[in-house]
Amino acid sequence: MLEFLTGIISGIISGTGMGGGTVLILILSVFMGIDQHIAQATNLVFFIPTSISAIVTTIKEKLINWKVGVPVAISGIIGAIIGAKISVNMDVKHLKKYFGYFLILITIFEIYSLIKTYKKDYKTNNNVKEKL
Amino acid sequence: MIKKILIGIIAGFISGLFAAGGGMIVVPAFVHMFKMDEAEARATCIFAILPMVIASGLFYYANDYIDWNIGIKCAIGGIIGGVLGAKLLKKLSDKILKIIFIIFLGYVSVKMII
Repeated sequence: MLEFLTGIISGIISGTGMGGGTVLILILSVFMGIDQHIAQATNLVFFIPTSISAIVTTIKEKLINWKVGVPVAISGIIGAIIGAKISVNMDVKHLKKYFGYFLILITIFEIYSLIKTYKKDYKTNNNVKEKL
Repeated sequence: MIKKILIGIIAGFISGLFAAGGGMIVVPAFVHMFKMDEAEARATCIFAILPMVIASGLFYYANDYIDWNIGIKCAIGGIIGGVLGAKLLKKLSDKILKIIFIIFLGYVSVKMII
């Protein structure tokens, strides 16, 4: 039951583009005590059906930029093989720690982008006021 | 071309290592470096990340890290959540969601390191 709920929460967050997968892994590993490797693998299983349905829709809507997407996808496979090979051979303690560091970077970046959008909104609001 | 390859390798590496977070690198990179709008960047990102996920999934599978019982339950929940999310998102403010997300991430990342 908890797994369904975790999936639902992550699915909702995925729609915002804010990293539903990260949330899924975190709930499974930090709050449910599932091994980090298994939590990560679960996200891979989770991603495939949800992403395929999204890709089908976006192809119809002509939203995919193939000129950028194809080379990124191909070089990404190389990166993924290297990353996955390191990950599966790493012990859980280290993997968890590195994941934590990575999340701190993401958190800082998210705060920065939030401030940036606030400033932009503030500016446009002021511009509107000036024009009035 | 070098930019595209670099983004791919970095995002792939992160996707393989942590099985998540690739999108959080790719989407901003697409928006800032290739001047895509948010919808195009997200769509292209999901397309680009799927092969990376399949490639890393094979390694996790070979090492017996896939728990199908948990995976399938989460995936079913995820599909329901995706539909719910699309409806909810129109009502909820993006900014509030982002602030909740940041607080959650900050809290959990510290918990993981300690």
